Parts: sequence; C-alpha cells; structure tokens
Amino acid sequence: MNQLSRRKVLFAAGAAGAAALGLAACGGDDEKDQNLSGNRAGAMDKYGVGDQFKATETLTFPIMLLSNAAYPYDANWLFWSELTKRTNVKLEPTVVPGSDYNQKRSVMVSAGDAPFIIPKTYRPDEEAFIAGGAILAVSDYLDLMPNFQDKVAKWKLQGDIDSMRQSDGKFYLLPGLHEDVWLDYSLAVRTDILQKLNLAVPKTWDELYTVLKAMRAAYPNQYPMSDRWSTPPSPGGNNLLSILSQNYGTRAGWAYQNVTFDTAANKFVVTGAMDQYKQMLEYLNKLVTEKLLDPESFTQPDDAARQKFAKGQSFVMSCNAQTLVNEIRKDIAGLAGATVVKIPQPMGPLGASKQGSRLESGLMVSKKARDSKNFVAMMQFIDWLWYSDAGGEFAKWGVEGVTYTKDGSGKRTLTKDVNVVGLNPSATKHMQKDFGFYNGVFAYGGTTELLESFFSDEEKEFQKEMTSRKTLPVDPPRPLNADEREQATLWEAGIKDTVFQQTLKFALGQRPLGEWDAYLKELEGKNSKQYIELVNKAYERYKTNHG
Amino acid sequence: MTVVAPRKSRRPRRPQSTRGYRVFQSVNTIVLIGVVVLTVFPLVNIVARSFSGEIFIRSGQVNLIPKGFNLTTYHRVMSDSMFWTNYRNTVIYTLVATAISMVLTTCYAYVLSKRHLRGRTALAGIALFTLFFNGGLIPNYVLVSGLGLRNSIWAIVLPNAINVFNLLVMKSFFESLPEELEEAAAVDGLNTYQILLRIVLPLSKAVIATMLLFYAVSFWNSWFSAFLYLDRSELFPVTVYLRNLIAGATGGSDVTTASETALQIAANIQAVTIVLTVLPIMLVYPFIQRYFVSGVMLGAVKG
Repeated sequence: MNQLSRRKVLFAAGAAGAAALGLAACGGDDEKDQNLSGNRAGAMDKYGVGDQFKATETLTFPIMLLSNAAYPYDANWLFWSELTKRTNVKLEPTVVPGSDYNQKRSVMVSAGDAPFIIPKTYRPDEEAFIAGGAILAVSDYLDLMPNFQDKVAKWKLQGDIDSMRQSDGKFYLLPGLHEDVWLDYSLAVRTDILQKLNLAVPKTWDELYTVLKAMRAAYPNQYPMSDRWSTPPSPGGNNLLSILSQNYGTRAGWAYQNVTFDTAANKFVVTGAMDQYKQMLEYLNKLVTEKLLDPESFTQPDDAARQKFAKGQSFVMSCNAQTLVNEIRKDIAGLAGATVVKIPQPMGPLGASKQGSRLESGLMVSKKARDSKNFVAMMQFIDWLWYSDAGGEFAKWGVEGVTYTKDGSGKRTLTKDVNVVGLNPSATKHMQKDFGFYNGVFAYGGTTELLESFFSDEEKEFQKEMTSRKTLPVDPPRPLNADEREQATLWEAGIKDTVFQQTLKFALGQRPLGEWDAYLKELEGKNSKQYIELVNKAYERYKTNHG
Repeated sequence: MTVVAPRKSRRPRRPQSTRGYRVFQSVNTIVLIGVVVLTVFPLVNIVARSFSGEIFIRSGQVNLIPKGFNLTTYHRVMSDSMFWTNYRNTVIYTLVATAISMVLTTCYAYVLSKRHLRGRTALAGIALFTLFFNGGLIPNYVLVSGLGLRNSIWAIVLPNAINVFNLLVMKSFFESLPEELEEAAAVDGLNTYQILLRIVLPLSKAVIATMLLFYAVSFWNSWFSAFLYLDRSELFPVTVYLRNLIAGATGGSDVTTASETALQIAANIQAVTIVLTVLPIMLVYPFIQRYFVSGVMLGAVKG
C-alpha cells in the first residue's frame, strides 16, 4: 500500500477543516408565537373531557411507529380503519423495527426529518433533543389537551409532571400517565417449604430473615435464598437491592440514583451516604454472614440462580409476574409437590408504602408540527387517543362486539376467537397480531382498572395488596443547565462506581461496616460534596423561579 | 511392487523421508484437526440448537445432535410472508449492490494502477481521505434524504459502493500485472477499454472473485443502511427483519404471560436466524474459494 505523503495529509487536514467550518451554522430559534389562529384547520371548536374527538375534515398525521417483532406492523389492522372512522384521522407511519428504534429516532430528529408524532420515548431520552430545537415544548400547549389535564388533576400527578421540567421550566415529553404506581417485581417463595416448616408468608424484611433462618435450620447445607438479576452495570442483586432499598427509604440496585430527596431536611442528599443505605447494607450483611443469602447472588448469571431454584437448592428468588409463570413454575415442575408464589414486597422501616413514578414512556412532538395548520387538531387527537378513557379502552381492548364484549357491570370479556396474553388460548385470532390493538405504541398507562384488565387473578391479588400501600411523593425537580450537567456527569460516574463497589463489599462482608466513616470520606474524595451542592443549588433555583 | 519402487526413486528427494518431517506432519495434522473441531463445533451446535426443544436448550443439553426435535421457530419465521419478501429484497440488494461496487471499484482501481496517469495521487487521496474521515451519521442521512434516495434501493446500493480497502487491494493487484502485456496489446491495436476488458480482467479472476465475495458477504449481512433509510417494512432486507425478531423474542416485552410458542422461539431464534442467513452465502464459498487465498495474497504481497 502506498505510504501517505505529506501532501496527502495536508490535503486531508484541509478538507477536514473545511467540513468543520461548515458545521458552524446552528442557530436557536426564537420563542414561537402563542397565537394559534392559523393552526386550527380540522380542529373541534368545543372539545372537552368525555368528548369523542373527530376532526372536521380528514387529516393525516405522520407518526414514527415502532414495529414490535411479536406483532409486526400491518397496514390492514382494524386499529387503523377504526381509528379513522372514529376520529377522521389517518396516521401515516414511518415503520421502525423495535430492535433499533432509539437510534433511528435520534437520527431522524437530529436531521430535522422526524414525523410529527414521535412515541415510545423513555425519560430522560428527550433531553438529548432539546438543545437541537427539533422538539416542541409540549407544556406550552396543555390547554389543548383537556383529558391530559383532567388526569393530572384527578390523580394528583402534578409532582410527577414537575419532575420532568427542564431548567426553562418546560417539559418536552407527553408521558404515559398511571393512576397508581405499578409494581411488578418482588420475591418468589416456595410455599410448600413454608407449609412444611409451618411458616407464614413473610410480610416484612425482618420476617423474611426469620423465615430464611428457619429454612437454613431445616436444610443446613444450602443457602435458602439465591438471587438473580445481577447484570452490570448496577452492582448485582439489582432487584433485591431495589425493593429492599425502597422499603428502607433509599435507592439501590435498579432503583439507584446518585441523589435522594430528604423531605425532613428539605434538600437532596447523596444516596450512598444515607443512614438508611447503611441500615439496608447491615441487613444484607446479616443475611450473608448467617449464610441465608448466597453470596453469589450478586455476581451469578440468571441461569445459575434459576438452576439452583429449579433443583430445590434455594427457596427464595427475585421474580416478576412474567418470570414467575414462564420460568420459575416451569423450572420447578420436576420437583414433587413444589409450589411457588410471588409475595407482596416485604415491608421495611417505612411500613406499608411504595415508591415509584407514575409516568411511563411517552411521546414527543416535532417542532415542525407547530407550524402545521392542523396543529390544534393534532393535539386534540393525541389527547383523545392517549389520554381519554375512551381512547385508552379503544387502544387496549379494540372494538366492542368485534374484539370484546362488555356486560352491564362494565366488565370486558374477549370475544371467543380473540386471544391476547394467553387469556383465550384456543382462539384463532390475536388481538395484537391480527387487529393491532394492545400495541405498546398506543396502549399504556391509564386507570388501574384498565391496566389490570389483562391480569391473571393471582396477579390481581398481588396488585391489590400493593395498591393498598401509600405512595411516597416523588423527588422535586432539580433541572441542571447545560454547563452544570456537563460537570455533574463527570462527578456522577465516580460517585456511582464507588457506591456500587462498596455496596457489594459491605454486603458480602469483605469490608466491615465499622469502616462506614472511611467510606464516606472516600465518597467525598469523589466530589460528592460539590455534586450535592450543585444539585441543591439547582433545586433552590428552580423553586425560586418556577415553584 | 516392482513397478512402484523405481517410480518412487525417480521422484526428487522430498522431505517426508526425514523423521523430523514426519513428526512435524503428524503434529500438524493433530493441531489442525483440533482447529477444525473448534471451528466446526459451534456451527454444528448452532444447527442442532435450531432444531431442538426449548427445555433442552435452556438446560444446556444440546451439543451436536438436536434434542426434542422441534420446528416451531422455523415454522414461525418461514410462514411469515414478510420473511420471504424481505429475503427477496436481500437477494436483489446484494446482487445489484455487488454489481455496482464491482464495476466502480474495478474502474477506479485500474485507473489508479496506471503510473503515467496525471493527478493519480490526488485521485488516490480522495479515496484515502474517506478511509480516515467521514461525514458522520446525521450528515449522511441528510444527504441521502436530500438526494431523494430514501425508501428506494439506491439508498442501500449507492452509498459506500466503493470500499477503499478493497480498492487498494485491487489497485495493488493491477500494478503487479506485467506492463509489457498491456504494451503488447496496445501495439496489436487494442484501445484502453479493450485492454481492460480483454487482457487485464481475464487475468484478474483471482482478485475479482475475492472482491466479489467480500462485497457480496458484506451486503448480504448489512442491515444498518437499510434500517436507516427505509421506512416501510416491505422494503427491508431480511437482516432487519430477523434482527427485530431476535430483539422481540429475547428482550423484555410488554406481554405479561408468554405462550409456549413464544418461549420456544425465544430459546432458539438466534440459532434459526444464523442458519437461515448464513446458509446461502456459505454455499457460495466452495465455488470461489480456490481463487480466494491467491487473490488476497497477491494484493498483500505487492502492497
């Protein structure tokens, strides 16, 4: 191959420089006029809660559509034709395979080429697009969305909504709204073993300790609990840490965040330095040192944990509704008399409470849509399909008489030949594949009644218990500006790594908990003090400006 | 015996008679058989998994022979008409893209191999430049959109039609051809194009076969540009289709309770996919393999 001559290198460098210059043509655009008089074509004059949205003329809105492999996009779905019949709106989908949806979304949004409606966006993904100016600050147009506002007020979601606000006080994502915090993850416990040892289902973490101790006494050669979900980057035992920490009033595992709001002190604190965090580690450490919890719980692959459970070498393991039915029950089918349930999350010092956001992934609106003469109609349409009760029922259950029937009490039943989530196994048609309903792009959030309408009785029982617990308020907003975010990102990684590493060491007893103060010093060495000051400054600033 | 012996003695002395060589050869054989086993085992294992039942796969019991013979996943994939539409797309995209790439690369490389060409360095520089720098994802996307190529085959086959690495290999190959040959052809009255078509190309079968394989395999396997520039599922190549299928089957889904079928598919969708996509391109290998090594080597030695 030829050697690169100096001339070539110079040529290359020159061209690169020219390309870089070409990029310097980015400008922010000014605040859009709030005057919507030119954007009302097709919109309803009077549109409110409970109204069926129907555009006054046939409209077409481009939408980015995630095509789920389990029910790939089909232009002939009843969903499309029925939607047009009801709303006079035709959606024009850009079909994106679900495998790489986010990547295509970023390219299209960044290239200024995105469809008007961009669904399936998980927080805080939208933040990446704000600076580019291609995404509409939807919070400016909520008055066009009566159902959205109604749900926020009725379900007291204002705090959740505020947590999405950016430093300009606006938010750029229309999230899915849940009536209640929906928790799915908990622990699976072998009930036949409980019965054999004459134990009750543990309601608290302390009771769980007693139960595990009794199990260990009866089976002295094995760890009664061996856990799964230790995939990086979180520290390992991610679900256990997550549900345990939330019941202790802190955040770890999957739920981990670098900062947590301390309501009593009215400021943010470093999560890994909280007393509650230490108490949680003490509890875990007790389980490990008394050989009740398999130390491999924090490192082993899921399959290893499953195999231990399947062979009867452990009796307690993390699960959710899906893994309980699809994996655990099948795994233990070979063990004579073995039965297993998902127990309600054990309670900790916080008592009967639960943490979590009631917002789900949502949709962004392209800024180009604001200039469309049909903008108002589009926002009304979005409000109806995603936020009204009728829209939610339509997206999830389909068309009455075709995909489901409803009795006098309002209870819905699938029609005989329609199946979904295994509710009607003998049916020949599938709600998602053949009709296009219960599509993750359109059907999510909503009332608890709607959410649970596809659940098994067993799962409903679990949800009933979890629903009865008090929902703790979410952290207040503390939006950082661009410079602060850059600085914070640098600090966050170091703090997180230290907390994760030391969490594992403390839990496994590789480091005595007596060294807690030394650990706090190490955290400070990772700039945790400056970081928390930055966060609290942002919190105070937001409170002054927008609170 | 009497016939064989003198024939043997007539042959030039070959090293196999020494003890060292025999030891070397047996060690060689053993090591290479080991390598073959190492290479073939995963392949056979994949095929076996693609025909096995979920329980056996999950518990790690499938090695070389399928256990709990099961065709659910094959059936699921192959009964979908979209699979065949997309498969056809892949074949078309691969054929067209390879043809375009071959023509462009050959022409470019042949031109660059001519030392007497003025501006040759600049021409090579233009190609080399793209090896080190490129516009990036979004500018490329904007360009392709701006040219109106989106949702058409041209978005797949035109960008990256010339692979600079392949170009350089080919250029080296052409440079290694004796100049006298072309001079003689010119003396006999052939013009530049005739020289290329009637003298140079027939002598370059090795490198052409190699490039053909390189390009065909890369286009066959490629999915990203299709995923980026195509917005309708009936235009996708099969790679995008299968990639989505894998993600859907193995990732978490919104569905609370999956059926038996879904579990079976999740267990061996990857194996089935590999078998289905690798098979056709693997069948091509034996036919061009004999050119393959010599083609790459020729380029390499010169370069």
